[in-house]
Amino acid sequence: MAKKKSLGAIVKNGLLSENPTFRLVLGTCPTLAVTTSALNGFGMGLAATFVLIFSNLIISLLRKLIPDNVRIPSFIVIISTFVTIVELVMKAYLPGLNKALGVFIPLIVVNCIILARAEAFASKNGPIASIADGLGMGLGFTFALTLIGSVREIIGNGSIFGFQILPAGYESMLLVLMPAGGFLIFGLTLGIFNAITMRKSGKEGANA
Amino acid sequence: MNLFLSSAPHVHSPQTTRVLMRNVLIALAPCAGAAIWYFGYSALILMAIATATAVFAELIWQMLTGQKVRIDDLSAAVTGLLVGLNLQPQAPWWLAVIGSLFAIIIVKCLFGGLGDNFMNPALAARGVLLASWPVRMTSWVLPTGWNSYADAVTGATPLASPGSFTLKDLLLGNIPGTMGEVCKVAILVGLLFLLVTKTISWRIPVCVVATTFVFSWLFGNDPVVSILSGGLLFAAVFMATDYVTCPMTDKGQYIYAVGVGLLIAVIRNFGNYPEGATYAILLMNIATPLIDRFTKNRVYGHERKVKKENG
Amino acid sequence: MKKTFRGGVHPLHGSHEGKAPTRDKAVREYIPDTVTIMMGMHLGAPSTPCVQKGDRVKVGQVIGTPEGFLGLPVHASIAGEVIDVGPVQGLGAVPGIGVTIKNDYTDEWVDDIEPLGNVETCPKEKIVPAIKKAGICGMGGASFPTHVKFAVKEGQYCDTIILNGAECETHLTADHRLMLENSVRIVDGLRAAMRALDVKKGIIAIEDNKPDAIEAMRKAANGRDGVEVRPLKTKYPQGGEKQLIHVVTGREVPTKKLPLDVHVIVLNVGTAAAIADAVIDGKPLISRITTVTGHVNNPSNFRIRIGTMAEDIIGECGGYSEKPGKIVLGGAMTGMPAPSDIVPLAKANNGVVVYNEKEALNLEESPCIRCGRCVEACPIGLNPYKLKYLCDADDLQAASEADIMDCVVCGSCSYICPAHRFLTPAFKNMKDKITAAARKKRG
Repeated sequence: MAKKKSLGAIVKNGLLSENPTFRLVLGTCPTLAVTTSALNGFGMGLAATFVLIFSNLIISLLRKLIPDNVRIPSFIVIISTFVTIVELVMKAYLPGLNKALGVFIPLIVVNCIILARAEAFASKNGPIASIADGLGMGLGFTFALTLIGSVREIIGNGSIFGFQILPAGYESMLLVLMPAGGFLIFGLTLGIFNAITMRKSGKEGANA
Repeated sequence: MNLFLSSAPHVHSPQTTRVLMRNVLIALAPCAGAAIWYFGYSALILMAIATATAVFAELIWQMLTGQKVRIDDLSAAVTGLLVGLNLQPQAPWWLAVIGSLFAIIIVKCLFGGLGDNFMNPALAARGVLLASWPVRMTSWVLPTGWNSYADAVTGATPLASPGSFTLKDLLLGNIPGTMGEVCKVAILVGLLFLLVTKTISWRIPVCVVATTFVFSWLFGNDPVVSILSGGLLFAAVFMATDYVTCPMTDKGQYIYAVGVGLLIAVIRNFGNYPEGATYAILLMNIATPLIDRFTKNRVYGHERKVKKENG
Repeated sequence: MKKTFRGGVHPLHGSHEGKAPTRDKAVREYIPDTVTIMMGMHLGAPSTPCVQKGDRVKVGQVIGTPEGFLGLPVHASIAGEVIDVGPVQGLGAVPGIGVTIKNDYTDEWVDDIEPLGNVETCPKEKIVPAIKKAGICGMGGASFPTHVKFAVKEGQYCDTIILNGAECETHLTADHRLMLENSVRIVDGLRAAMRALDVKKGIIAIEDNKPDAIEAMRKAANGRDGVEVRPLKTKYPQGGEKQLIHVVTGREVPTKKLPLDVHVIVLNVGTAAAIADAVIDGKPLISRITTVTGHVNNPSNFRIRIGTMAEDIIGECGGYSEKPGKIVLGGAMTGMPAPSDIVPLAKANNGVVVYNEKEALNLEESPCIRCGRCVEACPIGLNPYKLKYLCDADDLQAASEADIMDCVVCGSCSYICPAHRFLTPAFKNMKDKITAAARKKRG
């Protein structure tokens, strides 16, 4: 069934209709922890996207070789390879971002989005489609994290990507930068995203 | 002849939701009056802003979502006034607005409106404001009289510096604090009104205060000063007794009230905050469904202990 | 201190439970021009009419023969000509069969009445058959055939008979007046019931808002074997069978069981008086005391003939004092609303209460505020607010697991609910549904 889908549709699927954060509600741990600013969210998203694309590709290529009984350990070995690459690259070239994201970069290994796509998609589909799926899911994750990070940064700090956008007199709301605020903003963005996309799909359904 | 047919009972208790909420508003009036007496017109303006925002927020939400508009049950007004009374008297106006909006839209309406909020909206709003703008929420001033900003002197609350106020000041409210909590006499008048009109039962307020009294004493504080300081009394009378978020049965209410009292004493003595009433009640609010589940009344004609069948 | 039960409410507490207008009004006899006697006045299958249009009947003559286990005979309450036998709109959803008799004012009794004489000396084994023959059913409202209550099964026994004179319902003073005016008859009826089953203890329970009735009953009970008067606290539903047994004997009727399983039989005081009439005089149940009150010009208590139309008795009270909005047969907590004032009064109708249009106002249901008043009020210890959600969800399974079948439909929760949620009607409906489903399952 999935094979019939065009590559564009697979990418779009990850971005919107099966958005890992807003629809599947997977990977909430990094979502809540690192979205204190738009940049952190964006960086985390890109790192996860990189890992997703390449782990999907390799798992898809090896899908006929990996025995069923040991597939999860095998996936984890593959995933952790790419996570290590990302971590080392970040340490070398983006030390600031690496420090901000901290332990959540190595924790991408157990990010359930990546494991879920490996299990649900890459191990059943060809390499090209798997790359598209990894790209779509990764971009969807990046989009969600950047959105939540932006909202929290604007409300909690008056800035976005580090640029001050609200007037200097603005007294920022500290709560949204705290874990409790993370839950709150995550819940609200998730609700609004779903309200908008559902209304849209409802209209499409009515037109068709 | 055109007769109306409806099932029994054919008479109803005169205590409707609206009457109950009106009673709470009346009971809050002495506190509001004391706040204006001590802190002047800024207190009045803040309370008015908070109440108006709450009512309008609920009105607009119910209109936008196509629900029946029920602001005439006065529950939004109660929430708004409580948000106002939980602010310090020289808080900026936008704190009142954000507090009321958060209480009504996020805590109350998003969870299904009246009766479905999982924690006390006014207290949740206070918790959010306290965590977000800690300096704004805790810049206490000594009572100033009518002219609010004339020569406001900042001061520490009795909880932060115990022993700096006389018992008389603590009772009458000539101390720094949030608008609602300072005058204990006004709170007690409100409590008396609520008890006489049978709006609330004595169980929760009395048990909360008694538990805090006992544990403050055990932890080595002056128990009388402890219960007269901070927001304990106000919270025990007006916040912990919120119908929606406290248990239903007598037994459950005792457990809940003792939990609130204990948590207040613990937070005050061992926590980072000088006052723990807000978080103590919010925590017990969340525990309420669990308490309700385990404190069901025994049904007439059933065995005292329900047999567990198949585990 | 008087013992009481958990929960309960105080409806119309500020106005003497609505009883003030009639409680000092002596009972007047009222004999109507025509009566319409329904065949289905008792719980159980309706009787079959055994007279035809044009027949002349005497007072006390059997006009309906009993059907089935819970069947009861129906008697003519006046002498005269049968002018109609056919469907009549009563309180039920569908019309039932009724016999209409035109009074010829001869008040001639049938000849086959068999008085047993003194209740203390008459043969015991003839008492229950006499009760059955007299067509007596519970006169407090439930209209359960009385002789069936005396059917003690193998292994069961009865050690206490409780006479229910609580009259905890609002507005009604019929039992109150009966206890004042016919106190000896009530005690006679109780003694007859006690002797029928060799019961040693008989307790007459009366709410303490009727001190004069307590006094009168004490006087009448003085010197009678094993009879005792017990004052109760004034609280609704003090007169509910389960509550009464618990308060008086300290026993609880186990769920899905009957009072006889805890060795108790509960009878209404009106039923006891009817038993006395049946045993001493051999007379069937043809009249009862009814309170007519509310917005009528002259609220009164009447001894009416069974089958009197509500319209006639309201006319006898001087008619409506205001435009009626609702007519309720019975008290405010459990009474049945009448579709019009042209309804015949049955054996169990202890009152006719007229509400004006303002009082009959339809109430709107608003959201539950979880105040817990219903939980506090429920005399059974149920969670009405939760049951209501289960009823709204139409979840029969969950509702019966939440013990909805133990609900006594007393109306306390609906009365107290500040949000005016329709709790009791929903529970009644749900109980009927569950019963119907169980019956269907049994086949």
